[in-house]
Amino acid sequence: MLVSTNWLRELCPVDATPEQVAAALTARGLTVDGVDRATAAGDVVLDIDIPANRPDCLGHYGIAREIAAAFGAELAPPRNLQETAAPSDELDRLVSVTIEDPELCARYTARLVREVTIGPSPQPIADRLIACGLRPINNVVDISNIVLLETGHPIHTFDYRLVNQGRIVVRAAGQATPFTTLDQLERRLEPDMLVIADDEGPVALAGVMGGADSEIGVDTTDVLIEAAWFSPLSIRRTARRLGLSTDASHRFERGMDPDGVLAAQGLAVHLLEELAGGRAVPGMVDCHPAPWTRKTLELRYQRVERLLGYDPGREAIREALSALQLAPEDGAAGRVRVLVPSYRVDLAYEADLVEEVARHLGLDRLPSTLPLTVAPSEDETVHPLAERARNILAGLGFHEAFNYSMLPEGGDRVWVPDGTLPPVALSNPIAEQLAFLRRSILPGLLQSVDLNLRRGNRDVRLFEIGRVFLPTAAAGSRPDEPLRAGLAWSGLAEPRHWSRDDRAVDLVDLSGAVSGALSHLQPGLEFREERSTLTCFHPGYAVSWRSADNRELAWAGRLHPELLARFDLPQELFLGEIDLDAVLAAGPRQFEYRPIPKVPAVSRDLSLVLGAGTGYRQVVDLLASRPAPATATFEAVDRYVGSHVAEGETGMTIRVILEPYDRTLTDEETERYRMDLIEALESSDLPVKLRA
Amino acid sequence: MLDDLLRIEREFNQALDEAGSDPDAVEAIRVRYLGRKAELTGLMKKLGTLSKEERPAAGKAINILKQKVAASLQNAADQAGNARRTARLAQERLDVTLPPRMPWTGTVHPTTHARRELESIFRGLGYTVESGPEVEDDFYNFQALNMPPEHPARDGADTFYLDGGLLLRTHTSPVQIRTMQNRKPPLKMICPGRVYRRDWDATHLPMFHQIEALVVDEGITMGDLKGTMDVVWKRYFGGRVRTRLRPAYFPFVEPGCEYDISCQVCAGDGCRICKQSGWIELGGAGMVHPAVFEAAGVDPELYTGFAFGLGIDRIAMMKYGIDDLRLLMENDTRFLRQFPL
Ligand SMILES: [Zn+2]
Repeated sequence: MLVSTNWLRELCPVDATPEQVAAALTARGLTVDGVDRATAAGDVVLDIDIPANRPDCLGHYGIAREIAAAFGAELAPPRNLQETAAPSDELDRLVSVTIEDPELCARYTARLVREVTIGPSPQPIADRLIACGLRPINNVVDISNIVLLETGHPIHTFDYRLVNQGRIVVRAAGQATPFTTLDQLERRLEPDMLVIADDEGPVALAGVMGGADSEIGVDTTDVLIEAAWFSPLSIRRTARRLGLSTDASHRFERGMDPDGVLAAQGLAVHLLEELAGGRAVPGMVDCHPAPWTRKTLELRYQRVERLLGYDPGREAIREALSALQLAPEDGAAGRVRVLVPSYRVDLAYEADLVEEVARHLGLDRLPSTLPLTVAPSEDETVHPLAERARNILAGLGFHEAFNYSMLPEGGDRVWVPDGTLPPVALSNPIAEQLAFLRRSILPGLLQSVDLNLRRGNRDVRLFEIGRVFLPTAAAGSRPDEPLRAGLAWSGLAEPRHWSRDDRAVDLVDLSGAVSGALSHLQPGLEFREERSTLTCFHPGYAVSWRSADNRELAWAGRLHPELLARFDLPQELFLGEIDLDAVLAAGPRQFEYRPIPKVPAVSRDLSLVLGAGTGYRQVVDLLASRPAPATATFEAVDRYVGSHVAEGETGMTIRVILEPYDRTLTDEETERYRMDLIEALESSDLPVKLRA
Repeated sequence: MLDDLLRIEREFNQALDEAGSDPDAVEAIRVRYLGRKAELTGLMKKLGTLSKEERPAAGKAINILKQKVAASLQNAADQAGNARRTARLAQERLDVTLPPRMPWTGTVHPTTHARRELESIFRGLGYTVESGPEVEDDFYNFQALNMPPEHPARDGADTFYLDGGLLLRTHTSPVQIRTMQNRKPPLKMICPGRVYRRDWDATHLPMFHQIEALVVDEGITMGDLKGTMDVVWKRYFGGRVRTRLRPAYFPFVEPGCEYDISCQVCAGDGCRICKQSGWIELGGAGMVHPAVFEAAGVDPELYTGFAFGLGIDRIAMMKYGIDDLRLLMENDTRFLRQFPL
C-alpha cells in the first residue's frame, strides 16, 4: 500500500524523517519496501507491505496508530466523528435499511447528503490520491477514496435518485442474474452472492463493487453513503468467483472494524459538505442486528518469558500493551487482562498478545540461546537410498540434473509400461508443458540432453533423482510417489585420451552403470537381466533388471530411433531408470560378509558356440544348475561373431571358476565337473555346442 | 716377498682408481689381479720356496691382500653396475606432464550441495531429517497450519490444484504436521523437499526446494530460534554473518517473524544485491501457533516450539554467486560440472 507521509504527519505528528518512520514501521512488522521522494511533489511516499492479519493498517489512520505507539506520540482523534448517530425522522422518511442475513452483514449504516455539486476535487485532495496511486475522478468519488485511504474502511456512494425510494435491502442475490458493475462489465451473479438491492433489484455487489445503474454521475445531487460490515468469507468467495478483486473486497475479506463505519460516515459527510457543497440530512440509519461485544483476552506474565526466552518485567509488558491501546488491567493472579479494540481482528490468542509485546519491545531484545532438546529418532522418514544413489551416480561420472515434476500431455506415454494408470492432471497448470505429473524421470532427462546437444555439449551424462507420481485405483486418494533415479548417456564411452581411439557409448556401457549402481545401492542384492518391452527404447536394445523376488528394479535402453528422429538428435542416446523403492524393498535385510577361501580358486574355460537366439544368461543358468564340487561362478571371457562361426551363431568362452573353501580340489574332481557341464549342455534343448 | 705384496697393492689401487666406474676396466683388473695368471697366484705358488718359519706369515699376508683386492673389486663392480643401471634408467622416461587417463567424474547439483551442507549442520545440532508426500490435501497444506478455507493468506500460496481435493504442496510444512502426529515430543527435525507455487518469472520457478526446521519441547523459546539461526547461518556462510528477526505474519506461527542475514556481498554496508539495506531476507520463522499444535495433536499448554523455513535454491545461488535462476533447471553440463562431489 502506498502511504503519504504528509498525511501520516497530520494524523500523528512525530519528529522523525521518513526513513526513520520507515525503519520503525518495518521493525514493528509493517515492512516498508520503498521510500519514494520522486512521485508526489512535496510528499514522501512509503510503499508498505501490510500483512494479511492487519486490515486495521489498510488505512493511514491505522498506520498512524503504529507510529504513535512506536514514537510514544499523540494520535489525532478520528476526524469529524458524528456526535450522535441517532436516526432522524427526516432521514427515516427518505432511507430505510433491511438486513436479511446478519451473518453476512452484521451492520449497515446509511447517511444522505443532498444538494451536492459534482466537480473536480481541490488540488490538495487530488495530490493525496495521486501520491497513493489513485487517479482523481470527481469530488464525490474522490471523497470515498479519501475515506478509504484514511480510515481504511471502504464506503460506497450511490446516486440517491437511482436507488428506488431509498429502500435498501441487504440480501443474497437469490437467483443467477446478470448485473453490470461500475466498470461497465456485465457479470453473472450467483444465488448466494450478497447484494445491496432496492425494490427493483441489485444496485451493488456488497463489499466488492457498485452497480453501473446507481453510479454517481455529473448530474448527481443527492448522495447516499453506505458504510457497512460484511462477512469476510462471503466477500472473498464472491470476489474470487467473479475474478474481481477491488480495494473494497481486499479489505472486507480481511475483516473490517464493525465500529469503523462511524468514523467512515463522519469523514465522508464532513468532506461532502466541505468539498462538494452538500447538506447532510441529520442522523444516520444504523442497522445493527448483531451488535459486537469487545473481546477480552488474558495474558499470563510468565507466558511472555516462556515464549520469548526473556522476562521484560510486568511494568514493561503493561506499558507495551498500553502503547498499543489495549487498555491493560489487572487480571487473575499473575495475569493482565486487555480489552481488544474492535479494529484488531487479529488478536484472538494469548500468544497474539505475546507477539504484541515482543514487537513493541523489539525483536532485537531476544536472547540468543540454543534449545537443549535431545530428540533422536530411529524411524527417520527420509528415503534411505536417496543420498546413496546421488553419490554412486556422481561417482560413476554422471552430473546431477533437476527437471520439473510436470510434463505436457502425453509427455511420458511411451515411457511407462502398458496398463499404467493415466497421469495426474493439474487443474490449473501454469503452462501447457507443465500440465501433468510425471510417471517417469526419463522424458525430462531427454529434454536436458536435447538442450545440451543443441548447445554443442556432445558428451552428456546426466542423472536425476526424484519422485514420480503413479495414480492408484482408489478414487480421491493420493498417488504413490516412488523415488526414482534416471540416467542419460550420450557421446563418448570413456573420456577422450591420447592413448586410445574415441569410442561411442553403447548399451553395454549404460547397463554397466545401472548394474554397478544396483550392486552399490544394496550390497548383497541379487538381480538378473532380461529383455524390456518399454516402447521408448529400440526393441533390440532394451534391458530390464529383476530381483530374486521378481520386482522390476531398473530398466534401460537405447532411445527408439523414431524418438531420436523426432527430437532430431545428432547422436545415439542411452537412458535408464532405477526404482529406488523397489531396490529398497528387494534388498537383503542384513548384509553379512562371507569368509574368504583358504585355498586358491581353480578355473576351466568352456569354448562354446551359441545358436541363434540363445542368451548368455540361459547358458549360465543351465551351468549353475549342475552340482559343483565347490562354489562355482561364471565369467564371459570372450565373445566372437564372424567368419569362423555360422551366420547368427556366437562364439563364446565361458570361464568356470571353482572356489573351494579350505580343501584343494583334485584334478580329477575338477575334470569330472567340467565333463558334467559339457554333458549337460549337449543333452539340453539349448542350441549350444562345444567349439571345435 | 713383502715388498712384492706392497707393490702389487699399490699398483692395484692405482689401476682401480684409473678404471673408475667403467665396468669393463674393472673386470680386466679382476682378471689381472685375481685370475689364474695373476701375480698374486704366482706368489702363492712360490710359498714352497720359503723357509718353514717364513711360510705362515707370508701366506697370511698374501691371503689378506687377496681379500682386500676382492673386496675392493666387488665394491668397484657394484659401483659400476649402479652407474650402468642409472644410465639405463635415465633413458627410460614418461612425460609426466601428459594428461593422465582419468575416469569420468560426476557432480551433484548446486542445490543438492547447499541442502547437504545445511542438513549436516542440522544433523550436527541433533536434528532428524524427515520427508513427506509432494501431493498433499487441503488439511495438511492449509487447515492444520491455521489457514481455514478462504483464509486470505492462501492468496500468497499460488497453489497448483489436482482433482479430488488434492494439491501440490506449497511448502514442506505438511511434513511438520505429519511428524508431530506420528511422534511424541520432544521433536527436533528438518524437512527438506520440493515444493510448488503457481508463479513463473525471472525470480520465481513453479517448482523449488525448501528446508523447514521444527523444534518442539517443553520450554522452547523464541530466543532458542534466534540462537539456532545464529549458529546455522554462521556455520553456513561464515563466522561474520549476522542474523536479524523482523516481525511478520504467517498464520502458523505466533509470534511470527521474517529473518534476514547481513549481506555477504557488501558485509552490511549496502549494495545493489541487498538494495542498499545491508540485509538479505532468507525466510519466515516463529513460534508454533497454538492452533497448529492442536491440529497436530500436541498440547500447546505443555509444549512450545519454533519453526523456520528457507529456500535452498536461493541460498545456493547466494553461496555460489549464481545470478540466473534458469541455470538451476536447464541442466547445461558446462554449468553442472562446476560442482564436484
Ligand atoms: Zn549488500
